[in-house]
Amino acid sequence: MNAAWSLLMALAWRNLWRNPRRAAITAIVVAAGLFSVLTLDAMMQAWAQSSRDATLELLTGSGQIHAQGWLDDPVLDHRMPAPSPELSATLNAAPIGGWASRVTVPAVIQSEYKTLPLSLMGVDPASEARISTIPDMVVEGSYLTGPDDGEIVLGRHLLERLRTQLGRRVIVMAQAADGTLAQRGFVVAGVFAGNTAIEDGYAFTGQRTVQQMLGIGSDISEIAFRVPDNGQLGAAVTSLKAAAPELDVKPWTALSPMAAAMDSAMGSYVWIWLGIVFVLMAIGIVNTQLMAVFERVREFGLLMALGMKPRLILALVCVESALLVGLGVAVGFVASAALTWGLSGGVDLGGLAQGAEYFGGSRMLYPHFDMALSLREAALIWALGVLVALWPAARAARANPVEAMSHET
Amino acid sequence: MKPDTQVSPIVRCRGVTKVYRVGAVDVPALSGIDLDLAPGDFATLAGPSGSGKTTLLNMIGGLDRPTSGTVEIDGQEVTALSSGARAALRLHRIGFVFQAYNLVPVLSALENVALTLQLLGVGPAERAERARVALDEVGIGALADRRPAYLSGGQQQRVAVARALVTRPVIVLADEPTANLDSTNADGLIGLMSDLNRASGTTFLISSHDARVIDRSRRHIEVVDGKVVSDDRR
Ligand SMILES: Nc1ncnc2c1ncn2[C@@H]1O[C@H](COP(=O)(O)OP(=O)(O)O)[C@@H](O)[C@H]1O
Ligand SMILES: [Mg+2]
Repeated sequence: MNAAWSLLMALAWRNLWRNPRRAAITAIVVAAGLFSVLTLDAMMQAWAQSSRDATLELLTGSGQIHAQGWLDDPVLDHRMPAPSPELSATLNAAPIGGWASRVTVPAVIQSEYKTLPLSLMGVDPASEARISTIPDMVVEGSYLTGPDDGEIVLGRHLLERLRTQLGRRVIVMAQAADGTLAQRGFVVAGVFAGNTAIEDGYAFTGQRTVQQMLGIGSDISEIAFRVPDNGQLGAAVTSLKAAAPELDVKPWTALSPMAAAMDSAMGSYVWIWLGIVFVLMAIGIVNTQLMAVFERVREFGLLMALGMKPRLILALVCVESALLVGLGVAVGFVASAALTWGLSGGVDLGGLAQGAEYFGGSRMLYPHFDMALSLREAALIWALGVLVALWPAARAARANPVEAMSHET
Repeated sequence: MKPDTQVSPIVRCRGVTKVYRVGAVDVPALSGIDLDLAPGDFATLAGPSGSGKTTLLNMIGGLDRPTSGTVEIDGQEVTALSSGARAALRLHRIGFVFQAYNLVPVLSALENVALTLQLLGVGPAERAERARVALDEVGIGALADRRPAYLSGGQQQRVAVARALVTRPVIVLADEPTANLDSTNADGLIGLMSDLNRASGTTFLISSHDARVIDRSRRHIEVVDGKVVSDDRR
C-alpha cells in the first residue's frame, strides 16, 4: 500500500505540471476564491469590531450594573448604593479594564429660548475617561475637572437647538429624591461632538453635584464597565453577579441588541460569500479536471491494463485534485494573510467615513487575521474542492482498459 | 527445445467466443477458439485485419471476458474472475506490449519499467535495480532517465518489452508491437524478444501480419474470421 501511495504521489505531482496553463487557472480560481473569503472575513470582523467598539466606547461600555428595575424604568427610585467593597474588588480586578459609576436622571434643560428633555449624567471625569470616548470628543472648551465640578458639558447639536453657547448659563430641572422638582443653573464648560443621538440625549456634570441636587447622598444609578477582551465578557459578568447578587448585571449584547444583531449578521455574510465562492470554484474544478481526465483516457486504460485497480485510479485523480486545490488554497491563504497583516496597522475608510460614523463605525478599520478561523475556512474549501473532484475521478476509474486502449487521441 | 504437449499448458483456451454488440447488431469477433500455449512457446498470431487477434489477446490477458468458453492461465480459470482479481492476475502473471501508447508520459523509461514493480510492492532500491537490469537487457540502459517523448518509437517499444518482462510473468502478450516501426527497428525488436524468450523461457504470444516477424517465430498460428485456421510448430 505504501509503495502504491508513493507511486500515486509521484504520478499526481508530475501530472499537475503536465498542462501548466490549466493547472494555473484552476489554482488561481481557488486562490482568488479563498483570498476573497478570508480577506472579506477579516474586513467584516474589523468593521463589526470597529462599529461595536465605537458604539460601546461612547457610553455603554462592555456591560452595566443597575438596581433591579432600572432598565425598565430609569427613574431615581430605581437607584442603587455606591459599590460595596466586594463589588469594587471585582470591578478593580482582571478581566475588567475600567469602570465608572454614574448618576443618570431624566431631566429638562432650559436656555433663554428653549426647553428640551434629556438625561442628566453625573460622572467622575477621571474614571469616565477610562471607559468612554466622550471626554476625548470635546471640540470647544473643556471636559469636567472632577466629581464636584458644577459646570456642564453639552453636545454640539443640542447647543445649536438651545441657541446658546460656551460660557453661557443653562437651567436643568429634575425630580429629586423627596419628590420635589430640583433646579440648578450650570455654566456650559465644554461642547462635545459625537453622533446626534448622544449629542441631543445627554448632559454631563460632576457626580457629587448631581447627588447634592437630587438629595441622594452617595447613591448612584449605574456602573458601566469595560472588558478589553470581548471573549472574557461572559466570565466578567458571572463574577460580577456573584459579587452583587442583588443587582442587575448585563453585558452589552443585552443592553444594545442592535449592535449584537449587527455583529452576528457580519458573520453570516461571510458564510454566504463562502457559499458563492464554493459554487464558482466547484464549476471551475469539475470543468478542468473532467477535461484533464478525458485527455488521459488512454493512460488510465494503460495503467489498468498493467494491473492498477480502479480504486487506485480514483485515488490518483483525487490526489491530483487535492494537490491542485491545495496549491490554490495555500496561495490564497498566504496572500490574504499577507494583505491582512499589511493592513493591520489600520485602514482609513476615507470617503466612507461619514457614513461609517453615522452607523456607529469609526474612521479606521484594524483588520486582524484570525488564524484559527482562516485555517478552518481554508480546510473547508480544500475538502469541498477535493469532494467535487470525486466526480471526474470516478469517470477516470470507470475507464474500460480495452476501449481506452483503442481510444483515438 | 521442442514444446512438450504433455506438460500442462501456460494458456488453455476452450471454445472461446466473443460477440460485440454494436447498436442492434451482433458482431462476432471470435467464433470458437481452442488453443494451448506451452511454457517457452514463442508464437506468432497472424491474420487479416479484423480477424480477431487483438480480441483473442485481450481474452487471454484478462482484459476482457469471452461471451462463452473458458481461458485458463497457468491452470487458473480467468473468465470467472472479478475485474479486481483480473487486474491482480495481469499484474502478477502477464506482461503486455501494445501497438502504441505503452508508456506513461510523465515517467522516465526507468520509472515506466519500475511502475509495475511498484504496484507489486517491491521496495525502491530493488525495483530501481531490477528496472535498470531490464533496460540493459533490451539495450537502452543509457536512456533510462528519458521520458517517452524523448525516445524513438523503437526505443519506446523496447522500454515496453523491458516492462513486460521485469515482473517475470508467465506469458508476454504483444499486440502488433512492430506495427509502428521501420523494418530495422522491427527486426531488432523481434530479435530481442526471441533472445529473451530463449534466455528466460518466458512464453510469448505476438500478434503480427509482418512477414519478418512471422519468419522468426517457432510456432505460427493463423486466425481468420475469429477461428484458428492453422497452427504450425517449426
Ligand atoms: N470494442 C469493440 N466493439 C465492437 N466491435 C469490436 C470491438 N473490438 C473489436 N471489434 C470487432 O471485432 C472484430 C475483431 O477485431 P480485432 O480483434 O480488433 O481484430 P484484429 O486485431 O485482428 O484486427 C472486428 O470485426 C472488429 O470490428
Ligand atoms: Mg488488432
